[in-house]
Amino acid sequence: MSSRASEASRGVATEPKGFGAIPRAHPGERRRDSARNDTSMRSSVKIQIIRERHETPEEVARRLEAAGGQNRFGEPNYRVIWGWNRLAWIAGKFEDRDAHGDLVREVVELRLEPKYPQVNRWHVERWVPPEVYGSPREWYAKTVESVNGMSVPALGPYPERGEYEHCFTLQGRKGEFVQLTPTIVEHVARAIEWARRFPKAKQRGMLYEREAREEREYEEWAYTLMDDAVPALYGQPFVTVA
Amino acid sequence: MPAQANANVIALQLEKVRDKVPLLYERDDILLTMIQQRGDVEKISSRNLRLPLQVNPGGKAGSYNADGGDLGRGSGTAYDVAQVSPIFFRFAIEITKLVEYATTGRDRAIENAAKREVANGMKQFRSFLDKLIQTAGNGVLGTISSVSGTTFTMTVPYGAALVYPGQTIQIYDTTLTTNRNVAASVTTNVVTADPISTQQITVDNVPTGTIATDVIVHDGLSGAQPVSLYGIKYHQNNATTGTWLNLNRTTYPIQLATPRVNAGNAALTPANVRLAINKVRKSLGINHLSKLIAYMAVEQEHAWENLGITVSSIIKEGGSGNGNDLDLLFTGRKTMSGIPIKSSVNADQTRVDFLDLAHWGRAVLKDIDFYEVNGNTVFPIYGASGGLAASYIFYFDTAFQLWSDSPRSGAYIDTLARPSGY
Repeated sequence: MSSRASEASRGVATEPKGFGAIPRAHPGERRRDSARNDTSMRSSVKIQIIRERHETPEEVARRLEAAGGQNRFGEPNYRVIWGWNRLAWIAGKFEDRDAHGDLVREVVELRLEPKYPQVNRWHVERWVPPEVYGSPREWYAKTVESVNGMSVPALGPYPERGEYEHCFTLQGRKGEFVQLTPTIVEHVARAIEWARRFPKAKQRGMLYEREAREEREYEEWAYTLMDDAVPALYGQPFVTVA
Repeated sequence: MPAQANANVIALQLEKVRDKVPLLYERDDILLTMIQQRGDVEKISSRNLRLPLQVNPGGKAGSYNADGGDLGRGSGTAYDVAQVSPIFFRFAIEITKLVEYATTGRDRAIENAAKREVANGMKQFRSFLDKLIQTAGNGVLGTISSVSGTTFTMTVPYGAALVYPGQTIQIYDTTLTTNRNVAASVTTNVVTADPISTQQITVDNVPTGTIATDVIVHDGLSGAQPVSLYGIKYHQNNATTGTWLNLNRTTYPIQLATPRVNAGNAALTPANVRLAINKVRKSLGINHLSKLIAYMAVEQEHAWENLGITVSSIIKEGGSGNGNDLDLLFTGRKTMSGIPIKSSVNADQTRVDFLDLAHWGRAVLKDIDFYEVNGNTVFPIYGASGGLAASYIFYFDTAFQLWSDSPRSGAYIDTLARPSGY
């Protein structure tokens, strides 16, 4: 699976342009073969992936559940999901724009849209209990927006069974694709669970320590930059090693 | 005159490091320098920089009667022009004669002192400008909630976060009309500041008439309703009255208003974050989030960590941070619902701003450099007698202003509760 997903994530063009979003149950079940057949007949048609969907491999889900445990509903605390597969409710007045950013239309509606901006990446999510979102009454008080005289729940219905929230996106330092492996996501889950056990005061201390460290790093960098005549090894004496 | 000779030596040392000054300034680790000087507008004259904005789309859509009906008239895209004026900022550094005696080897000592003061001064200057970028464009660095002798307890936000010991400040009334320092003919300097726990500052002189609700502004501003650097709260604002870059907000109440989520003094939740992000998506298009950053105070980063759904900073410091390949994935990767987090000790403690830095820029009139008069960059200080004092002064100065060409490209959550312990 992994090599297929990797290949797919590189954005290989497989779907006929203009055919719209065609969900795919498995990354391996791609339209390339049929597209190639079509290509022989219509060689001028360009092929472009519009929306690409992948299911989480069972082995990954199983390892994540073992690492993160289950919630009160018997569901895993952690899950990993492909960006295009993760949809969430968005309601309100949408301003649809064309490729140049010009306004095409305004419409008030409830839509299911990808939840995260990185749609072609794997995301690790953790289950958050419903009480974090307040009571249903508080939820609707906070999220209902009035648009053109209509009240719309901007985030959809109250998450009465809790909700999975974003923990981590699998990607490299420059945003490049990172392949999903059980080891990586298991490590993410264990790291988060490990951190959750720490007192909040300790976590707070770490944040300020990081800020202080960054300030020190600037100072050290600045002094080094200014000092254009640093002696070799910063003047430390040489030691002869036999 | 030995003193003049010494000043000349210092000037020579400063010349040696002059080319390093922009490097020290532009390191992109603070919000100010993450906002790029934009190539198309970076050099401006003393006249206003003009930013043409498309405020309304053009064209008339509708159905018509093809059986001889009137198709009606059309319309064109509506434009208006925002304007930006640069503000001059300076940072003054004095070196006393004492530094010459601090180490052996006179020339080396002066060289070291000059370099160290340039590095230290630039660090402090950047910090000052980073504090200003948090503000609403009026130079207000804090609001006094109570006065006890020379101690001010400051209202959060910003508490005591935006001042530093030794800084010269001015105290204005809450309407920014009366400058109490000018009225009382006194200068006020910060002696101590505690931005972490007590949010108190102590000062050397309290001008007559200083009361709770008065505000503190930075040195150099004058008159009523002073204008300073247009910071986050100036550009990320949902007000429908007042002006924004010389445009009347009343004229463009939708176009110039940044989407806001009012947290109502409650703690940060994932729902707040989704509401804010979705507001941007609804106004700009579902897939226009790629350049956003979530900018917040360390307190709100802590609040996000408290939800237990993110890879905590503690991991990097703690037992799991053993430097293996997997931990490299965590380095600098903390996000808020997939949006990269940039936190600062200077940011408003009750707010999270989602910024699209592609729409922000710096209009620069004068690049950062030493202040220069007829080729001189170091100036002697005179004592009370009229003779030379045993110290020298030099300045960094720069002139710029911040602009945004799309206030609706961001969003913000405000009136957030701070986590316990602050």
